[in-house]
Amino acid sequence: MTTSVVNNAPNRIHVHDRRFGWLLTMPGLALLLLVIAFPVLWALFTSLFEYTLINPGFHTYVGAGNYAKALGDPEFLHSIRVTAMFVVAVVVLEFALGFLIALMLNDTERGKDLYYAILLCPLLMNPVVVGLIWRMFLHPSLGIVNYLLGRIGIPPVNWLGDVDVAFWTIVMVDIWHQVSFMIVLLLAGLAALPREPYEAARVDGASSLQCFWHITLPLMRPVIVVTLLIRMIFAVKTYDLVYIMTRGGPGVATDFISYFIYRSAFVGLDLGEASAMSGILLVIVLAMTAYLHRSMRAIS
Amino acid sequence: MAAIELRAVTKTYANVVSAVRNVDLTIGDGEFMVFLGPSGCGKSTTLRMIAGLEDITSGDLLIDGVRMNDVDPSKRDLAIVFQNYALYPHMSVRENLAFGLKLRHLERAEIARRIDGISAMLGIGPMLDRRPAQLSGGQRQRVALGRALVREPKAFLLDEPLSNLDAKLRATMRTELIKLHRRLGATMIHVTHDQVEAMTMGERICIMRDGEVVQVGRPLDVYRNPADTFVAGFLATPPMNLLPGRLEAEGGQLHAVTDGFRCALPRAYAEAYASHAGREVIIGLRPEDFHETPDRAGALGGLPVTLTVTTVEALGPETVLMASLMGEAGPEIATRVDFGREYEVGSRVTLHYDTAQIHVFDVETTKALARPLVSAG
Amino acid sequence: MKKFLYALSLSTLLATPLAGSANAAETVSILMEGVPDTEYVKALIPEFEKQTGIKVNIEVVNYAEMHTKLVPQLVAKKGSYSAIVVDFYWVGEFVKAGWMQPLDKRIADDKFDTTPYVPALMDLVGKVDGVTYMLPFYNYAMGLTYRTDLLADEKNKADFKAKYGSELTKPATWGDYLKQVEFFTKDGFNGVVNQGLRPDPIAMEWSNYLFANGGQFQDANWKATTNTEAGRAALSQYIQNINKYGPVGAASFGFDEAFNVMAQGKAYSYITYNFFRTSFDDKSKSSVVGKVEIMPVPGTAPGKSGSLNGAWGWAIPKSSPNPDAAWTFLKWVESFEIAKKRALAGGSPTRNDVFADADVLAKFPYAAALKDLLNQSHNFPTFTYTPQFVEVLGRELSLAVANQKTPEAALATVDKEFDELARKDGKLK
Repeated sequence: MTTSVVNNAPNRIHVHDRRFGWLLTMPGLALLLLVIAFPVLWALFTSLFEYTLINPGFHTYVGAGNYAKALGDPEFLHSIRVTAMFVVAVVVLEFALGFLIALMLNDTERGKDLYYAILLCPLLMNPVVVGLIWRMFLHPSLGIVNYLLGRIGIPPVNWLGDVDVAFWTIVMVDIWHQVSFMIVLLLAGLAALPREPYEAARVDGASSLQCFWHITLPLMRPVIVVTLLIRMIFAVKTYDLVYIMTRGGPGVATDFISYFIYRSAFVGLDLGEASAMSGILLVIVLAMTAYLHRSMRAIS
Repeated sequence: MAAIELRAVTKTYANVVSAVRNVDLTIGDGEFMVFLGPSGCGKSTTLRMIAGLEDITSGDLLIDGVRMNDVDPSKRDLAIVFQNYALYPHMSVRENLAFGLKLRHLERAEIARRIDGISAMLGIGPMLDRRPAQLSGGQRQRVALGRALVREPKAFLLDEPLSNLDAKLRATMRTELIKLHRRLGATMIHVTHDQVEAMTMGERICIMRDGEVVQVGRPLDVYRNPADTFVAGFLATPPMNLLPGRLEAEGGQLHAVTDGFRCALPRAYAEAYASHAGREVIIGLRPEDFHETPDRAGALGGLPVTLTVTTVEALGPETVLMASLMGEAGPEIATRVDFGREYEVGSRVTLHYDTAQIHVFDVETTKALARPLVSAG
Repeated sequence: MKKFLYALSLSTLLATPLAGSANAAETVSILMEGVPDTEYVKALIPEFEKQTGIKVNIEVVNYAEMHTKLVPQLVAKKGSYSAIVVDFYWVGEFVKAGWMQPLDKRIADDKFDTTPYVPALMDLVGKVDGVTYMLPFYNYAMGLTYRTDLLADEKNKADFKAKYGSELTKPATWGDYLKQVEFFTKDGFNGVVNQGLRPDPIAMEWSNYLFANGGQFQDANWKATTNTEAGRAALSQYIQNINKYGPVGAASFGFDEAFNVMAQGKAYSYITYNFFRTSFDDKSKSSVVGKVEIMPVPGTAPGKSGSLNGAWGWAIPKSSPNPDAAWTFLKWVESFEIAKKRALAGGSPTRNDVFADADVLAKFPYAAALKDLLNQSHNFPTFTYTPQFVEVLGRELSLAVANQKTPEAALATVDKEFDELARKDGKLK
């Protein structure tokens, strides 16, 4: 008898703890449900109807009709392709550049805070402001960039008006704006790494490059995965830059998915189809998240 | 296997603080050398300079006669065991052991052979596929040791490897390390602040203080002949009693005198101490040189000393008595007597001091007055 | 749990807008775009507040935000805007959705005279199918701005005559104008600057090219007609102007950037909104003060215009919390007296009597030219799906300019999508 009581005691406390824990998280969960789950569910519900702002209401159920319409629209599929290219380009380039700068900053003793502060500046700026500033800088005949290039004998570049250049111009400006995000997260990760394994590795016979490859990269993996994931999700949602700088042009060279969906909803007034497109975007983002999450699990 | 030589090695931080000054030391091939000293004395820094983890500000480091100052740590072929083990957290035990070997492009079969050998020797075979986070402190310590051993380096550098272990485990690992050294015959440098480790493990001890080497020698030689009051006070527990006193010449014989204590010095030391006759000195009396009976107090016969007991610490195999000379007001000293008799606080006892073991230090320099060496045993 | 639900419902209550409880009857709230004409209205508000005791609260946002902000208020039973301004783009959509109140009864009751309004503007932002929903606020018809000093230059005149065998004068036809564009493009100077940004800058600008070539967007049955000889010629000319005669980057210029190129004296001509005319004489914005004039975009023959019309109208939404006060304001702001004051401040008039006013003509001699421009300009097709059509048009034109589609293929798509939208709207049977 006595033993059973003793054995049960921690269990009871455990159950009680759990209930109490639920009680504590309840308001937060409810709020989360209200502000996140509700709009998502509403959008998914809307996507099943012919719902336009001119004739709002759930009058005509169309099932998967809006999804079929969206996936059958070559312009929408094109915007998915352009967005995917953009996400891969900015995430890869920003990661490479960000990691390099983070490594350099991590090894810097003097003036580190100053560099850090300077690097953080773009990140603190509103994307609309960033777009406007760069649109001004990149003005083909009146902008400072072409002026400076002209001084060293490079002919003016048609930054936003050339169909082959505009995409990379947006990529470049996004890197300028967002690379600090990578730097901040990666630097925090690097600063938290233990020093000892490096010393052990050096004595074990590893060169700096081997240390980076065998120690830094694997130890940084969780940080890297989270950083990439967050950055990818934000990159998929890029909207302000193209809205301000190109409106999706020239042609359809920078017609990103967020801007496309925005137009469907607020120009096309077709909330049903726009919701279906958002649903498709949600699936893409969730798939990406799940993939990265799983690869992170596999590592740790 | 390697001989390691330090010539006037100095380490200065930011041009101001000298962490290590002018260290001259030769560690023989296959020798077990212990760096002993309180924390901050520069012993770890010296070890890290040998490993190449710290730059040498001036002086030379030679391994097997070759200057190594500017050789990258990865090329020195030394192995180091860190105080906190510094295992690679993302690798399994097997990968931890194999890492250094893979970097040296050893054949896979050879790597497996060595890992098998080492893990059998250290008893870590069952945990080869675990991560360091899944191991206990003692197990990690073995893995760290294994990672050093498996490399078969020229020399092992051990940076307080036992200090994170509990007392029992520490004692076990101590013996194991000694056995290991005997078996491998490899050069080992062991850094510690624990004088028991130093005494039991080292073939030689290098005692450091404030970045300088104070004394180097075989453990018992150092124990018997401490170079100064610092070594004398550091090397045993309870430490040597250091009492202010003076040398007095009387009746053709020198006496060491302090309040409540007057001891005729052995004739053999007279010549050595003659220069300090009539001067203030520090008299050093080891607790273990006080005995309960005169027959144990050396060939010269003991000097009876009457003491008032102030504290009794019965440790089991021995009893430490804190007692004051000259009644309760006199200076308090520690003595160490056999277990068996019971002592009462406040009682007066007479112990017999082995006068051949007396140490005399200069007041100014705190250095021991040179005298014929007392040999161990 | 009960407590939690209670707290939740309480916070929901608190979050509910308390719009109804304010004394809205005395405040007229209007959402307006941040443009010069809005500023001229704002400057006169104190006069109205003193006269009527009604407070006016004008919320100014940029164009991109307007539609997004308006729609939720228009859909609501009771919105927060007493009166609104409507771009001609939105007229079809707003009428179809039934978001605006008819004004005919109020106009009749108060004997408000709408006859002075330029007829084309009344068609664009006034009456729809015989019902008056709006009063035209200001116009932004497009005209050709060009450099008078270059035309007057003797050497230019001689060179032009030598090359083309005709006199260099203010262009009488679209063909004359295109020759001048070619002629002036030399030595890093551009014959023209265009606004090729998607969607509305390029769509609006190209409309002038279409009309100048005698083309139309649709026929009487709302069947699209851009993929015609006139349309294809217009697009080829447009592509040539941007890529051959225009500055680098014109394919991505918005109107502000294109204006700057012209105002910095780097181009001979620019087809743009007439309200920019004043800015060319503003020393802080322009280095060609006194050297730029505006005229209707020339057409296929002398006297024919290719200009595109554009305008904003005042309206009272169905969801207006206080339509009577809103009407009081509309009546006042569109009275001859106030319309003239706005014109004198630099506004773009919509009333013929304001254009003809002696004081206005004295201050702005080019007002007569603007009146001609306005009276001759063509309207963009207005129907429920105008904004979508602008998107399609902008995208296809931009693809053609980027050489990713031939003019013919681009215009074929434009026509196809126009027909779909018109059919959806019931215009095309």
